Amino acid sequence: MRTARAQTALYHGAMIVLTFAFVFPALWAVSMSLRTDENMFAADQLIPHPITFEHYARLFGALPDLWRYFLNTLVIAVVGTAGTLLSSSLAGFALARIRFPGRGALLVAMLLTLMVPVHATLIPQYVIFRELEWLNTPLPIIVPLLFGTPFATFFFRQYFLTLPLELEDAAAIDGAGSWRTFFQVFVPLSGPAYLAIGLLTFVSLWNSYFLNTIYLAKQNSWVLTQALQSLIGRYQTEYGAIMAGVTLVSLPILIGYLIFQRRIVHGISMTGLAN
Amino acid sequence: MTDVAQKPRRRGRSLASRRARTGLLFVAPQVFGLLVFTAGPLVASLGLSFTNWDLVAPAPTFTGLENWTHLFADTRIPAVLWNTVRFILVGTTSFLIFSLIAALLTYTPRRFVGVYRAALFLPYVLSQIAVGVVWRWMFNSQSGPVTNIVEFFGVPAPDWLLDPATAMPSIAMVVTWQTVGYGMTLYIAALQGVPTPLLEAATIDGANRWQRFRNVTIPIISPTIFFLTVTSLIGAFQLFDPVVAMTGASVGGSGPATAGGPSNSTRTIVLYMYNQMFNYDEPISGLGYAAAIAWMLAMLIFIVTAVQFAVGGRFVHYETERAPRPRRRLRGKA
Repeated sequence: MRTARAQTALYHGAMIVLTFAFVFPALWAVSMSLRTDENMFAADQLIPHPITFEHYARLFGALPDLWRYFLNTLVIAVVGTAGTLLSSSLAGFALARIRFPGRGALLVAMLLTLMVPVHATLIPQYVIFRELEWLNTPLPIIVPLLFGTPFATFFFRQYFLTLPLELEDAAAIDGAGSWRTFFQVFVPLSGPAYLAIGLLTFVSLWNSYFLNTIYLAKQNSWVLTQALQSLIGRYQTEYGAIMAGVTLVSLPILIGYLIFQRRIVHGISMTGLAN
Repeated sequence: MTDVAQKPRRRGRSLASRRARTGLLFVAPQVFGLLVFTAGPLVASLGLSFTNWDLVAPAPTFTGLENWTHLFADTRIPAVLWNTVRFILVGTTSFLIFSLIAALLTYTPRRFVGVYRAALFLPYVLSQIAVGVVWRWMFNSQSGPVTNIVEFFGVPAPDWLLDPATAMPSIAMVVTWQTVGYGMTLYIAALQGVPTPLLEAATIDGANRWQRFRNVTIPIISPTIFFLTVTSLIGAFQLFDPVVAMTGASVGGSGPATAGGPSNSTRTIVLYMYNQMFNYDEPISGLGYAAAIAWMLAMLIFIVTAVQFAVGGRFVHYETERAPRPRRRLRGKA
């Protein structure tokens, strides 16, 4: 009895240390963004006293277009997610539920595509988008997503495979064709799948950096991650302003994570179905 | 009579073909996307790798195998590959091991376990740039907390990101820290699928804890180990964002062009490709050479993945008897 209790205490003690190691950097970043410069490196300032918002003011002073980067990021994340959800769920539904010529081949092609790094297709795309004068607009990032991504399509296929066969039969008896069956029967039943893949897509677009830095070179077309990266060069060791930037970029995701934590984690474990 | 017999068959056929047409319509956007944004550019990329182009000239000039012979002679290529290997040795291995340990600590339902899981997963949803920027300060040799903690134990702290010997391992540690929650989540799902009767049977047969883990648990979760190994290695070859965030210059511009230091010890394949893509100063550089590097990357990933499938097939245990459907249906309901 006593050893069991000791074990439990040891377990929770270890887990609290571990939890701290994973939450600490985020807490510390927020904390530093609210400290005065004199207190920046003081050890007793985890909860800053006094609290100051001067670094946020400085941040908006240095990057007057910050609201614009926020908007650019939001447009890419929202439109990209919506397009991915629509096109990928349509394709995933057909791959799971409709027999059509070339279905097996398409599935194999998609699985192979999962292996192709974006870099191997990047340069011709860059040339084409430059030709179309799409550089420094969100289009090179959004437009390919409107046609769905193999990852999301595959995810939806796996999900639609799990729904009972009777659904189509019932819809067919009611005289519904494939379109109505999909939109009126399957979509309403698949809320969890849409939410899971939608959240994952949104988060990855919000956080993305590589493609943006290729396509959005002009400063007024930047997204938030680019603005954040630029702070390193601008502020060097002025950690207050840099951490204010980190906090602002991460805050929407942090809030979303607090609300949707279970959904996101559930979505991630659903992606594991791929194996 | 013949009418009655033929009619349903004809209608059946037309229904099937109509459904097939709808199916094709449903997948049309995705197929279009794959052709236009993946297959086409992949081929065009290979074509470009036989040319030289600086984007100033109206069209690429065909240069034959020049980029490829240069690629094999370019001393920076083995250097960036070695940097990737160093990342894998520290980062990918520790990711696979630590996420399994994290899952073993949190997969059984007990008090507060949800809080622990949420905390361990938290870094995964944050941007690699934001995380990299924060860790850059954590590693700061004068005032950084990591340095302080190490020195608290009386060990002289290394220079982390400033020393060519430790910069890449430091980046690898951060990437592991950020992704461990993802691996943990998949391992938890797998561990919860280990049938209790099997473990009980092993106990009755006299297997101790380690033997049960080694001979029952590991084989059953081996598909997840395999999946995570394959995907994390594919990711390791494409390392970019964390390197830029942690090594981008702190004076003047801090974009990718300034990252990869100290002494190029953290320059990765993608970072090198990026720099060549916008570098037109060297005789062999620019889009053509960058395309060759990108294709080399794709082929490396393909080969490494194919080898894993060839070798992994012998170690991965798939339970073919278990019908996956009912389990998934339950999950979908939750």
